[in-house]
Order: sequence, then C-alpha cells, then structure tokens
Amino acid sequence: MRKHNVSEVTTSRRSLTGLVVLLGLALAGCAEDAELDTLKPQSDVARDIDGLLDPVMAVAGVVFVIICGGVLLISLKNRVSEYEELDFPEQTHGNNTLEVAWTAVPAIIMALIAVATVVVHLSVNDTEANAYSVDVAGETESWEPVVVVVGQQWWWEYRYYFSEDITEDDLGDPRDLPPADIVTSGQMAIPAGEEIELIISSRDVIHSHWIPALNGKRDARPGFWAPWKLDSDEPGVYFGQCTEFCGVSHSRMRMQVVAMTDADFQEWVDQQMQPAAIPAGAEDYVAELRAEGTASLGDSDSSAARGLEAFVSNCSSCHLINGVNDLTYNGATVESGSAPDLTHFASRTTFAGGIYNTYNRDGSLNRDELSAWIRDPNEMKGNVADNLGDGVAPRGMPNLGLGERTISDLVAYLETLGPKPSDEVIAQTEVD
Amino acid sequence: MAIIEEPLALESGQADIAERPLGVMTRPQEGNGWRDWLSSVDHKRIGIMYGVAAMFFFIVGGIEALLIRTQLAFPEQGFLSPQLYNEIYTMHGVTMVFLFIMPLAAAFANYLIPLQIGARDVAFPRLNALSFWIWISGAIFLNSSWLVGGGGADCGWFCYSPNSGVIFSPSHGVDFYAIGLLIAGIASLVSSVNLIVTVLNMRAPGMTLFRMPVLTWMLLVTQFLLAFALPVITVALFLLLFDRVFDSQFFDPEAGADPLLWQHLFWIFGHPEVYIIILPSFGIISEIIPTFSRKPIFGYSFMVFSGIAIGFMGWGVWAHHMFVSGIGPISVLAFSLSTMFIAVPTGVKILNWLATMWGGKLRFTTAMLFAVGTVGMFTIGGLSGVTHALAPADTQQTDTYYIVAHFHYVIFGGGVMGLMAGAYFWWPKIFGHMLNEARGKIHFWISMVGLNLTFGPMHVLGLQGMSRRIDTYSEGFGFAFWNLMATIGAYIIAISVAYFIYNAFRSRKEAVDLPNPGPDPWDARSLEWSIPSPTPAHNFDEIPTVESQDEWWHRKYAFDENNNVIRIATPEEAAQKGDGEGVHLPSPSFWPLVLAVGLPLIGYGIIFNLWLCVLGGLLTAGAIYSWALEPVDDPNAGHGHGDHGDDDDPDDHSDDEGDAVAVGADDSAGDA
Repeated sequence: MRKHNVSEVTTSRRSLTGLVVLLGLALAGCAEDAELDTLKPQSDVARDIDGLLDPVMAVAGVVFVIICGGVLLISLKNRVSEYEELDFPEQTHGNNTLEVAWTAVPAIIMALIAVATVVVHLSVNDTEANAYSVDVAGETESWEPVVVVVGQQWWWEYRYYFSEDITEDDLGDPRDLPPADIVTSGQMAIPAGEEIELIISSRDVIHSHWIPALNGKRDARPGFWAPWKLDSDEPGVYFGQCTEFCGVSHSRMRMQVVAMTDADFQEWVDQQMQPAAIPAGAEDYVAELRAEGTASLGDSDSSAARGLEAFVSNCSSCHLINGVNDLTYNGATVESGSAPDLTHFASRTTFAGGIYNTYNRDGSLNRDELSAWIRDPNEMKGNVADNLGDGVAPRGMPNLGLGERTISDLVAYLETLGPKPSDEVIAQTEVD
Repeated sequence: MAIIEEPLALESGQADIAERPLGVMTRPQEGNGWRDWLSSVDHKRIGIMYGVAAMFFFIVGGIEALLIRTQLAFPEQGFLSPQLYNEIYTMHGVTMVFLFIMPLAAAFANYLIPLQIGARDVAFPRLNALSFWIWISGAIFLNSSWLVGGGGADCGWFCYSPNSGVIFSPSHGVDFYAIGLLIAGIASLVSSVNLIVTVLNMRAPGMTLFRMPVLTWMLLVTQFLLAFALPVITVALFLLLFDRVFDSQFFDPEAGADPLLWQHLFWIFGHPEVYIIILPSFGIISEIIPTFSRKPIFGYSFMVFSGIAIGFMGWGVWAHHMFVSGIGPISVLAFSLSTMFIAVPTGVKILNWLATMWGGKLRFTTAMLFAVGTVGMFTIGGLSGVTHALAPADTQQTDTYYIVAHFHYVIFGGGVMGLMAGAYFWWPKIFGHMLNEARGKIHFWISMVGLNLTFGPMHVLGLQGMSRRIDTYSEGFGFAFWNLMATIGAYIIAISVAYFIYNAFRSRKEAVDLPNPGPDPWDARSLEWSIPSPTPAHNFDEIPTVESQDEWWHRKYAFDENNNVIRIATPEEAAQKGDGEGVHLPSPSFWPLVLAVGLPLIGYGIIFNLWLCVLGGLLTAGAIYSWALEPVDDPNAGHGHGDHGDDDDPDDHSDDEGDAVAVGADDSAGDA
C-alpha cells in the first residue's frame, strides 16, 4: 500500500493544464497569417464587439483562477492519504449568509455585464443614415451605402443599386431580383471608412456571411432578408468564410471585402458598369450574336476570341457577361442567378467561391488553377452539379468535359475580362 | 432500525412451477443465462445493459471523432471526402449525445434511484425494460444507415432546414436520423415517466423529498426535463419526416415556410437537453465529493434548489443558439440576458462543491480525482459559455471552433468525467469488486491531458476565425498548428478510453483473488451502501426507515455531547446481510423486447416498403396485447404450494399469522 499519495503531482499537473489553456488563449492574439482573426478588429463595429468581449474575458479569467486555483489550493491543503478512524473534519452543513452572498454577487456582476451588453448590442444593431456620393454613368447619385448579399451553394453574389434606396421590402425572391447596377461575386468592394449596410438572403439553404475583421456574422436565410452592416478602418482586403453548414462545399465557400479609397472605389464603379471588353477580332461576332441570336466566329488566331465563342457555346446558359449574353440579348431577360456574373471576372482576385487566387504573387494569371477549375471542378471543390433527378437540383459547376484547347481559349478570354486589379490588392489576397 | 435477526422461513428466488395457472402463458423465470437478460425487468440489469451499450457507442462515436481529427490534422487533406466528412461529423454528434452520454446517465439513474430511495425496483419494471429495448433498437436502426441507408445522415446533428430536405440531402441518411431519434426518444420519454413515479411514490418510509440524496434530486429534475423536452423534438422530427417522405411543406421556403421553425423546435428541445446531459454528472459528484471530504454536502437545500432553478431557467434560453439567425434584435437581447443569468445557479453549485471540500479531509481516490476534475473542467466550459451569452460577441463566436471548445469542455470535461467518477465509485456495488485504483489514476491523468490538449486549442482556433463543420481549411489562415495539437489530444483521449476498458477487464480478472469489498468500501453516506456488494437481486432484505439525510452515514456514526463524531456501528454490523427471503420480485417478461423490435421494422417500412410497416406494426401491437394479457405476477413464483401454511388461496392473508414476512413498507415492487 503506497504511503505517499499522488495528490502533489495531481495539483501541479492540474495547474500545468490550466496554464496550457491560458497560454493558448494568449497565443490567440499572437498568430501571424491569421486573416480571419476575430481578436484583431479593423472596423468600428468589430472594435465595439471586441471592447465588450475583452473585459468579460478578463473577468472570466479571474473567476477561472479563483475557482481552479481554489480547487488546487484546497486539494493540496486538505489532502490525506488514508482515513484514520474517527478523524473527521467539522461537519459543517452550510451557511445561509454565504449562499445568499455568492448568489447575489455573481448576479450583480452579471447585471453589470448585461448593461454593457445592452449598450453594445444596440450599437451593433443600429445603422446610421448615410449618404455617399458616387458617380454613376456621368450622374452623381447619393448612395445610401447598401450592398445586397445573396448566398447560394457555394458562392456569394453582391449586388449594387445606386439609383434607388433599396430596402428589404424592395427585394422579394432572391432568384428574381430587380436588375442591379453592378452584379459581382466573391468579392465585395466598398469605400473604406464608410458604414455599409448589408441586406442578406439565400437562394437555397441557410448560409452565413462573416468577415471577422469587420463585424460578426449574419445568417443568409432563404425567404428572409436580414439587415446587417460592416465598416472598415482602412483600404485593404478582408477575408471571410461561410459560417453556417450548407452542404458539401461549406468549407470552400469564401469571400473577401475589398475596401478602397474613395477615388479607387469610384474607379471601380466606373469599370464595373462597363460591359465586358471584347477581344480584338471578335467585334463582328458579338454584334451578330446580339442581333441575330446566333453567330459563328469562323477561324480566328486570337485565343481570346475563340474563348469568347467557347463561352457562348458552353457557359452562357448559367453565366452572364454584360455585353455578350446580358439583359438585352435576344430580347430575353437573362440573369446569372445560377452562376456568378463573369463580366469583370479578371478584376477580382479570387474565383470559384473566393477560394482560389486569380493571380499569382508575381501578378501573372493563375493559369494552372483556372484551367484545372474549368477542366474538372469536382477536383477543386465539391459540387453536386450532375442532375440527380427526383427533384434534386444540381448545384455548383458541372464538369463539361472540355478539351484542352477550349480550356486554354477560355482562360485567355477570361483574362481579358478585367481590368486587372492593382498589385497591392493582388498581394493582399495572397494567404499562403 | 429493525434488523432481521434470523433468516426468514421462505426461499427467495423462484421455485419450479408445478402447473401453468392460466393455461397459456407464464412469465419467464429469473436466471443468469443470456436469455434471462433479454427478459429481465430488474432495474439493475437494465442499468448494466444501458451502461455496456453506451460504452460500445462511446467507441463508435470516438472512432468517428478520430476520423474527424485525422482529416483536420493538416490543411487541405483529402483523407475523407467532403461528403463522407459531413456524414461522420453528423453521426459523431448524434452518437455521442443520444447513444452514449444520455444512456450512460440513464444507466446510473436506473441502477441507483431505487437503491438510493430504499425501493426494490422502479414503479413500472416492464416499462423500464421496454425503454432499454426501444432505445437500443433505435440506436441500431440509426447506425444501420451506414449499411443500408447509403451512408450516415449528413446534415449535422442539428440538421437545419432547408438543408435537411430531400432536395439538398437526397440520401436516406436524414430519414434514418429522423426515425432513429424518434424511436430512441420514446425510450427516454417512457423512462422519465417511470422514474418520476418511482421517486414520488416509492421512497422508503421516512424519506421525505428533502432527505433524498442530491443525486436522486438531480436525476428527478432530469426526468422532468426529458418529459417536457422530448415531445418538442418528436414534433420537429415528425414534421421533417413528413416533409421528406410525404411531401409536406413544413420547412419549405418555396411554400412560404420559415426555416427558423426547425431551429426553434430543435433548440427548445436542445437547450434543456444539455441540462439533461449535465445534471446527472452534477448529482454524481455531489455524492462523491462529500464522501471523500468526510463531511456532508455544503448547502444541501441550495444544491437542490439550484438544480431545480437550472431546470426551469433552461427553458428560457434556447434562442442563444440562434443569435445570428435573424430573429430580431429584441429577441436576441432577451435571450442574451436570460443566458447570462442561468450562470448564477450553476455558479452556486460549483461554490458549494468547493465549500464541501473546504476544511474537509480529502482522499483522492480515482472517483474523487474525476469528481474534482469535473468541477475544474466544467468551470472552464461554463466560463466560455458566459462569453457566448454576450450576443454581440457571439456574432463572432457562434459557428466557430470556440463553441466546439465550449461544449466539449462542458459535455466531456463536465459530463463524461462525472460519469467516469460515478463508474469508479459505484463499480464495487454493481459488480462486487473494485476497479483497480492505481490504474484508475493513470486513466484519470491520461484523460485530463487528452481532453485539455484536444479542446483547449479549439478556443484559440475559434477566436482566430476557424468555422465549424468544415471538412478542411486552407494553409494561410494559421489554423494548422493547433489543429494538429487537437488531433494528438484526440488520440490521447482514445488511449484513455482504451485504458479504462482494459482496467475494467483486468480488475475483474484480478478480483478473483481479492476479498469482497463489502457493503461500504468508501465509508459513504447513502442507502445503496447499506446492502452487500454486488447488490442482491432483491436490493433490501428489509425496507429501511429513514430518519435523516445521509441516512446510511447516520447508521454508522453519531455525535457525542461535545459534538464529536463517534462510531455506533461498523458497516458490516449496520449493513443488511442480503439473505432476506420471501421477497416478491417483479417477474421477467419478453414482451418489451418484442414490442421494441417492431419499431425499427416500421422505420424500415417508412423508408423502403410500407409492407414492412404492417409487419412491424403487427409485432408491436401483438406485443402490447400480449403484455397486457400475461399474468401480472405468477402466484407460484417465489414459493411453492403449502408455504403459506394451509394456504389454498395465496391472496387470502387472513391466515398469515406465523408466516415470516418482511417488516416495513410494502415490499413487493409494482409490476407494469
């Protein structure tokens, strides 16, 4: 029978465990390359949230030390290895005063925390009436900065309406939205330093839009438009991730917010409102396509021109390119509800749901991954693109079985759908 | 304090039946073969079966956990495809909650409640057996989805709509989820009614509610929570099933339904569910800490009332799982405040455990180590929970690994560690030998290291922005290091569980050469320690009359005029001998098992072919009918003709004088 006991080891091991946990929490603030870090707020609203959390974490830390430290100390102090006959401690049954005290004191602490919570909660849910001036097609609009956010499996769409003040009531079914001034996907451009309202919904299951540096998250729920907001301190690229389980590619549904200076944002608006650039040699083809509804390019030396034709043949039933198969095409209303708008594909620094970089570090086009995506999307991201029948809708990009030449032509064409973003934004998007 | 001086004149157990009284059916007889376990209605055997099955599913869920952690050990791994990952993480959650921790707590509840209140069985023994057989049928049905359902459910354990509908989850996995949980839910609901009636009606004379052990109180509150929460999830699952199988539109946004309906129904169940999970462990450590502090629980009434308060307040916080779902800022605020205040009764409990230890003489047996570990680990989980209550902060935390860290600390660190404490504590009572203490302590330390290494880093990961329910993560976000640590921790937990199982088998083998631990190896406080180990079939020779809280302790010790503790009896002197005879025990029955088997057949029928429903329905209905018809109690069981003297009519007690009968309260358990 062992005479010494393991309690001493008990207590030092227990404090070590506690230390590991505390250290871990401390390390949370020290990581590099932590683009989704919630503890490094870069906007007013994220700072409000952090400002509420930090003191409460400190209180929690103090309580942790008191309780777990208390457990350790009491264990150390009062341990015995064996019981001797009739060696009993005082048989205290309780102490009502103490009970009342340690019910009341935590309740009071909670009440104080509650007051702070109410204040921050009201502020986080409050939106300020804002008027931001933006030039749209030569006219100055007073834009109450609102971006309509629509999630669907497995990418985000962002819509900008400059001419009218959009509210939840104007929106209705996310599959049938009023035509927007700008439709883009995967990256939301905003003027830095402004409070941007978001109106969020989904076309299929529940998703959640989250840009940790700029604010908490808000669910994108089908059948409902959720109001939210974000702002940003400085121009830069802020990363996000869908945060409500939404199926097989939930982990690969990402997005970025690109905050810009006022000048850059104006330039972005001007560029996005242009139709897509037409590759040299394809002008007649496009004109005929839009007039007749069908056209043929014939032989062309331009890879980009051939890519444009390949787009029309293979991609235009789901993807929209303004100037090619957009609203005025053949008198029919075509909107990219089922797939991202590609008009200015190359002006965005990520693709395939914000997960792959459009450009390499050196600024060249990321041909390899772009080709791989077109060649076999299921290798790059889980899709359910085959028609499974029985009312099961296909979602995601299908494998079209395209040949290598077609793929490289498409890549060449996509590269023209700029303008190419600045080196700075390209660099800021790199995460590996 | 009446102790039987001489053995009774009657043979206990059951004699051979000379004739079949009703001509057609008799009840099976109690015995020790495997078939006797299938027909047993003995709460102790049912408890053991729950415990063994729960441990089996702990391993199943644990393997699922190891698969998850292996996939997440490194960024961009393809060890599991996204689809398979989704199935495995869903089934991990479902298995651990419904097939491991709830039934393991039920094992303790079934085994201990009658013993702690001085009863011989529960109010409705056949119903008790039914609960077990229905539960295990549901468990097997749910897991059969891997074999015949095209894979596990892939919607997450919370299974939000519209993702749970046929369009987005076309495989049968979700059907198995819905039906499996419906079946398993019947078990808990039936059991809750059984145990509530047992506690309210079958306490020994003198055992007022406020003389019950804290464990019985916490289990009673748990049963009330089950009784009210299970119907809500039942409704939700029926609505889901009807949407999937019969094209109803309860959750279809196209038809104008609000997907939030599912969330509300699920979480109105789901939040009381977590108190259902933790209260049994709270009760267990409330027995162990006083025993190994050598003083009574500090603040008994406050422990009881805080448990009841948690039970009530637990109904008012459910939408804290929905802070970012768009329920509106006023609702969010209301639930944020209610969630903060539910921390208060829980804090009271923690302080009372500390106060029990304060000034006590602490003996760190394995049970005590686990119990004190529970207090520490639950505190960590509870504190992170308080940070979630701040709704604005939760908009950053929800759906991240910070939440995963929180609930694993409270469920594993709080719930599982408490149940392990209970295992070490009551093992001698259940099995008649101790679990080896030296190996137990090693088990404890491996568990502590494993659990903290697995779930501690998840706090960091969550605050650094790692979402939940993702099958992989990219290199550049800084998640790699702590994910690897968490994976290593998970394997350490696996080792600790394997070690526990090894300890269980090895201790049993070694026990052959060790003396019986006796009725009270721990010098404990409540009535289950006043009878031999292992518990005799009839529990108590004589139903005790209770005069105080910690009744058993007061049969061993008293206070002298100076208020010092003096001994008035040794455990061997004060304990019952276990040789009481003439006790009528409820007769076994096969019908609960037969009834239970019909339910999964109905389930398969709903999914595959409605004729199976007919078959299952006939089986279930037939079993109910036969159950009602089988004799309530075989009048010849327990003794043969002539044992009542010239007793032609055993029910005529007018000539009972001279027959030795057990004194005290009604000693025959009900039989329903």
